[in-house]
Amino acid sequence: MAQENPIVHAVDVHKRFGHLEVLKGVSMDVTRGQVVVIMGPSGGGKSTFLRCLNHLEKIESGTIEVNGHAIGYRTTSGGRLVEESAKVVARQRADIGMVFQRFNLFPHMTVLDNITLAPMMVRGTGRDDARKRAMELLESVGLPQKAEEYPARLSGGQQQRVAIARALAMDPTVMLFDEPTSALDPELVGEVLETMKRLATENHMTMVCVTHEVGFAREVADRAVLIDGGVIVEDAPPDRFFNDPQHQRTQQFLSKIL
Amino acid sequence: MTGSLLLIPPGVLADFDSDVFFRSLFSDLFIQPTLLVIAITLIAQTTGIILGFPLALGRISKNRLIRLPVDAYLYVFRGTPLLLQVLFLSDGLALLFNNPVILDPISHNAVIAGTLALTLNEAAYMTEIIRSGLEAIDPGQIDAARALGMTPWQINRRIIIPQTMRIALPPTVNEYINMSKNTSLLTVISVNEILATAGRQYSANYRVFEILSVAALWYLLITTILTLLQKQVERRFGERQEAAVRPNFARRMFTGFRGGGGAGTEAH
Repeated sequence: MAQENPIVHAVDVHKRFGHLEVLKGVSMDVTRGQVVVIMGPSGGGKSTFLRCLNHLEKIESGTIEVNGHAIGYRTTSGGRLVEESAKVVARQRADIGMVFQRFNLFPHMTVLDNITLAPMMVRGTGRDDARKRAMELLESVGLPQKAEEYPARLSGGQQQRVAIARALAMDPTVMLFDEPTSALDPELVGEVLETMKRLATENHMTMVCVTHEVGFAREVADRAVLIDGGVIVEDAPPDRFFNDPQHQRTQQFLSKIL
Repeated sequence: MTGSLLLIPPGVLADFDSDVFFRSLFSDLFIQPTLLVIAITLIAQTTGIILGFPLALGRISKNRLIRLPVDAYLYVFRGTPLLLQVLFLSDGLALLFNNPVILDPISHNAVIAGTLALTLNEAAYMTEIIRSGLEAIDPGQIDAARALGMTPWQINRRIIIPQTMRIALPPTVNEYINMSKNTSLLTVISVNEILATAGRQYSANYRVFEILSVAALWYLLITTILTLLQKQVERRFGERQEAAVRPNFARRMFTGFRGGGGAGTEAH
């Protein structure tokens, strides 16, 4: 990890909602091609941390760099954080893909338009190129026949696969997954996890996933991380994380989900 | 007269002069007033919608200097009778400022004064309809658009405004129907619309019931056309999102219709 520059480099991130301190100094590096799974009890700060990585949430202090660029803030000579303008932040976010628990597809657009919108608007990709790429991505998530459908006509699993294709259309350097299977009916979880696995093993995508899918973590992840009480409690290879956790809080947490 | 209402003596209904009724129904008496009602409805309602957008954005603004004037505007225009607002603009405003030339179009032209009053009143109601549409948008939509690298302006144009319009469309069409009926208030400032024309007619021939029936039919013609249009619009835009992305979104959209439409209809 020390040799190569990390894709994600977070140092001592603090975040509060009003009086509630949600993140109390979280540091994490993710190198190229690594898959990191973040687990932890709800309210522990794991989703908030993920949302800080592309500045969907502001932070109080600390540093977040993706691909060597500070995200959301520049630091003054005095060391103070100054928030970047919305336009600059937007440009920074374009390289960071994100998939949400609730899919968040745009309901007023077809599947194809959902995928081509950002490449055309943000990257300035031509319509034909954007459509061609979108069809390739739909092919790869197994839904080319749904291109002209509206999201409402798709199952949850299909919607989430489209959401993954939509994020990939921006050619992100890292993908953030915020509980991508928690809103799905049990029988639909598999198809989404399968898509994510292929993304990791075949495309070697750098991924940070907040999820409680133990099977996925064991099979695909390079590291499993427990965030609880706003801090990283445990950060270990999945094998050790699940079989021989070093911290009592990890053991307690695992005893509830395993 | 009032005492006999309960009994309805046989002679009263027999007094309905069908000859007068059909003659005025098929005369050209109400054609121009009807066209005027349609024109005022379209102009006042459409302008009200256009004004409603910035006002709705002001109403949800975090900046008090923007929000408070908008709140005050809504407070006054939703809290006083529309009839009073019509009289105030047409007769009161110019007097208040001692008849300046700039207000001549309003004080000298009842159609302009009346249309303006209807517009300003409607803008207040449209503000609430559009605001409820804006607030019904799932915050996840904005998260997703931001995560894709879209700028606030792009998000407004491609995500927020189209979705708000879909949510606000059914109650907005409803407002056109309300507006067509509210134009009848302009009879008090002697705009030559349907009701005023009827009034002039029956004060000449005393066939009150017959003439008002004819006027009612003309209003029904207008509202029927608008209702058919409304069904068309709802069918067209309902189809694509009949089972919206997720139940929560659908539910919010539903309250969006009901809340907005209901508020507008009641208070008019």
